[in-house]
Amino acid sequence: MAFEPKEVQKELKYEELRIYSDEELNNYTEEELKDFKIKHDIPMCEDLESGPWPSFVADAKREALHRRKLADDRMLIERDVVEDLLGQLELSFEHGETHWKHGGIVGVFGYGGGVIGRYSDLQDQFPSIAHFHTMRVNQPASKFYTSDYLRSICDLWEYRGSGMMNMHGSTGDIIFLGTFTEQLEPIFFELGHKLQQDLGGSGSNLRTPSCCIGKARCEWSCIDTQDMCYELTHYYQDELHRPAFPYKFKFKFDGCPNCCVASIARADMSYIGTWRDEIRIDHEAVRAYMGGEIAPNGGAHAGKDWGKFDVQKEVIDLCPTKCMGMEDGKLVIDNKECTRCMHCINVMPRALRPGTDTGVSILFGAKAPILEGAQMSLLTIPFIKCDPPYDNIKENVIEPIWDWWMEEGKNRERLGELIQRQGIKKLLEVLNIPPMPQMVREPRSNPYIFWKKEDVPGDWDRDINDYRSRHKR
Amino acid sequence: MDDLKQAILDFAESSKKTKFYFKDIQNAAQKVYPDANKRDIKKAATALVNEEKLVYFSTGSTTMYGLKGRGQTEDY
Repeated sequence: MAFEPKEVQKELKYEELRIYSDEELNNYTEEELKDFKIKHDIPMCEDLESGPWPSFVADAKREALHRRKLADDRMLIERDVVEDLLGQLELSFEHGETHWKHGGIVGVFGYGGGVIGRYSDLQDQFPSIAHFHTMRVNQPASKFYTSDYLRSICDLWEYRGSGMMNMHGSTGDIIFLGTFTEQLEPIFFELGHKLQQDLGGSGSNLRTPSCCIGKARCEWSCIDTQDMCYELTHYYQDELHRPAFPYKFKFKFDGCPNCCVASIARADMSYIGTWRDEIRIDHEAVRAYMGGEIAPNGGAHAGKDWGKFDVQKEVIDLCPTKCMGMEDGKLVIDNKECTRCMHCINVMPRALRPGTDTGVSILFGAKAPILEGAQMSLLTIPFIKCDPPYDNIKENVIEPIWDWWMEEGKNRERLGELIQRQGIKKLLEVLNIPPMPQMVREPRSNPYIFWKKEDVPGDWDRDINDYRSRHKR
Repeated sequence: MDDLKQAILDFAESSKKTKFYFKDIQNAAQKVYPDANKRDIKKAATALVNEEKLVYFSTGSTTMYGLKGRGQTEDY
């Protein structure tokens, strides 16, 4: 489907938007960097540079040197912001506790998210980071950028912020690290009016929706994840920017069950592309894999000789539901038993492809371990068609869930915790769907689904006193 | 809308706390106007923020509302 933007898209040109000249951007040599010392003594931070991985300390020192060599009027916050940041970090290591104050009243006009207030509690010692507010910038779907765009935001942040950024935060946003309160509105203006760019979500809001690369580059994608992410981001602008939820809420969109953005582990509402017809099989290609003419796994794991490809051992025996086999030299799949694990498709991508009757599975309640420990999301809607503008999902899934959570959720309670507290039965009532076999891992093992008398033909009689005579409390 | 805004302000001014969850605001408004729905309460709270009578307080993970000038301020 061709992309249909909701507003005219500007073509951003770095030559028009740039703030710094090439000389300013390349204003130090590697020799100078070797001899460079920041103004604080930071042995513990520098120890982090000695490990095998690239270190943020090394990057921060580059930035500190770069800012030292810029002219005074080429930065609107203090030049030694990076040096003070490292100085405070060193002290935090020494003291074993943070020196950031928690939260604050900062934001841009009309928005309740996107800016996170941070203040140092050692402002006399580290005046350049007295304020160190973070801004979240809503990433483009699938994180496709032009270099003009990236260079332009880097210049803006060097000029009005610390120059340090984080690509990307766990929700996916571009994170601008550290600026003063008086720079927030000008940055927001520049982002909105010149770069056609919005802030992302933070706080008790809908967080910036995030999606996999989808149909843009991946032939397994069963849904247009970018379109869905874009549509829901625009449709739920109010929920993104004006907080009224009990706590954070995340949407993530995966095009297939490979789950490349890990929506199943990280989103309160995970959308995972799937199909309800049959896996497409190209028998010629299966034979080519078996004969060694096509490398399995798309040629991955080629650095070592793993022996000849064995379809029985490497595909059929590994099927979690044992729904595959060979009959008369042909691969057969019992599709109704397929659990969409993607393993066979991943191993033989030219032979096997997802079906063509596609839609999404919707799962609820994943979260990181704050209250009850980490939780994966719960498969609740095994299949729903997924076509723009997604009204069936907005009206029948998203909004009833939000209404329930906003009504019943306690302060700082995630959706997954509410489901745990009130039960899956209640979740199904809210969504007006029946219990389905796909919701349980195996028969009779799920303790959450209880039948009502009216659901069971013939009803039943139950005498609680009789039960208690045999089962003490 | 004006009634809801007033109910929110009355609650904010009478409370001993300086910061409130949206849920606290919702419960207070629904005590006065039991039929008020949460979307309207949210709109009233947003309008009060735009009028600079309420402010948002955010830790980054959670957002709360506060009465402007009470408790923590921008000069923090």
